[in-house]
Amino acid sequence: MRRSRPNETLKRTVQNGLLVFVLSFLLCLFSGCAAGLFGGTAGQTETERTVYAMDTYLTVRAYGDASDNTSEAILDRVLDDALKEVEALEKKLSVTIETSEIAKANATGSAALSTVTAELLTRALELCEETDGALDITVYPLVRAWGFTTGETRVPGEEEIRELLPYVDYRRVALGYSVTLEDGMAIDLGSVAKGFACDKMARRLKDVTGSALIDFGGNICAIGAKPDGSDWRIGVRSPEGNDLLGVLSVRDRFVVTSGGYERCFTDADGNLRWHIIDPKTGYPARNGLLSVTVVGTKGIRCDALSTALFVMGTEKAIGFWREKGDFGMILVTDDGRLLVTPDLAKTFTADKNAPYAQETIREAE
Amino acid sequence: MNREGEKNTLKAAIKPLKTGVWAALFAVLAAVCVFAIVWMNAGTGTVAEIVRDGEVIRRIDLSRVTAKETFTVGDGEGGYNVIEVEPGRIRVLDADCPDRVCVRTGWLSKSRIPILCVPHRLMIRITDADGAADAVAY
Repeated sequence: MRRSRPNETLKRTVQNGLLVFVLSFLLCLFSGCAAGLFGGTAGQTETERTVYAMDTYLTVRAYGDASDNTSEAILDRVLDDALKEVEALEKKLSVTIETSEIAKANATGSAALSTVTAELLTRALELCEETDGALDITVYPLVRAWGFTTGETRVPGEEEIRELLPYVDYRRVALGYSVTLEDGMAIDLGSVAKGFACDKMARRLKDVTGSALIDFGGNICAIGAKPDGSDWRIGVRSPEGNDLLGVLSVRDRFVVTSGGYERCFTDADGNLRWHIIDPKTGYPARNGLLSVTVVGTKGIRCDALSTALFVMGTEKAIGFWREKGDFGMILVTDDGRLLVTPDLAKTFTADKNAPYAQETIREAE
Repeated sequence: MNREGEKNTLKAAIKPLKTGVWAALFAVLAAVCVFAIVWMNAGTGTVAEIVRDGEVIRRIDLSRVTAKETFTVGDGEGGYNVIEVEPGRIRVLDADCPDRVCVRTGWLSKSRIPILCVPHRLMIRITDADGAADAVAY
């Protein structure tokens, strides 16, 4: 090899090299500073909204590409639209907003339905059917009797519960363009509405970003992957205390947990009574479980199943999972076991301090 | 082959740069150190947000709290929550909501699990919660 003027070339190369090195170093520093200041990963914009909806807090975080200056405006608009849709949904479904379709049906026995409410009711009734009534949207009269609707909790008398039980039966909800309920019956879509709303929001967000996170009162919807391309890390709350049971690595999944700890009270005899009522007994469901976490691809299904499996109890929940197999679950039993389905066992990292003995649920008996 | 020559020119090339560039490099390293220290301190700061009716009504840097302090939020019509802060943590000490779930939740220090008072539409959350999880299902 021949070089014409090695001295000059080399000198310039070294000079340029050092200059580039220093400049790039400074650039890194500045971009690092910028990322630190704006709380995002370099090259990403973060758009966040927190609103009060459906009796809890809804937070949506969506990430866009910083190099594309239209992306933030688009995300802004999509988030606004998504939240407006949730608000509109709540006005149709809420049991406490008197003008809602569901409140009207509960008060008068019948109500005309909008397309979206009819869609949700159809899906909800299918889930009641699929879970053989472990989920029952007509359990509302009992939830009301226990005072969980107002927060002024009480233990209803045995007689009262016996009188209310005949009004609990999802199969007697007549659904068409309108919904008709028999006298004394009432429906509450609280166990499916948030999941359904997450599905609607997720559909909008997926069109415009590959990275978003919805936290609807602890119902989590992870869209795509984190802005840096890694898996979302979703903690699962321990049913006892304010700690984490562990962390799940997920992409494009819903993670929904139901437990007795959310809304509960201790009665005069010292028994812990929680808001998940067993539709078959009229009493808070005590079938061996402290919490159920369901991981899947449909929000409404995860939401419904987390409640239904909690009501079913350990054995039936495992049987149901073996039969369906289209979701993952984490069960915490009242005898201190942490049961995880095999698919999740690979992505779930139990917290070091969680006082439970972890086991992987077998595919077949 | 003129390895020796190249070595010499390399030295010659570096020499005049020494003062300027080495000073610049040193400055950059110093900047990195300062940045790292600032960044790490920011990382340990725990900021609690008190949200009522969907709006952030108060932001408290819990790492800067030096003494126990209590204050009341609400009271207008929708009920009250007495909030207590201590260095590094926050809780609802008392409230007139019917279920008192917010009071039973206890102290919040770094977790992503918020304190919720549904009847009063109140939420207390840590904005820069620990990196163990991006969100928590509960």
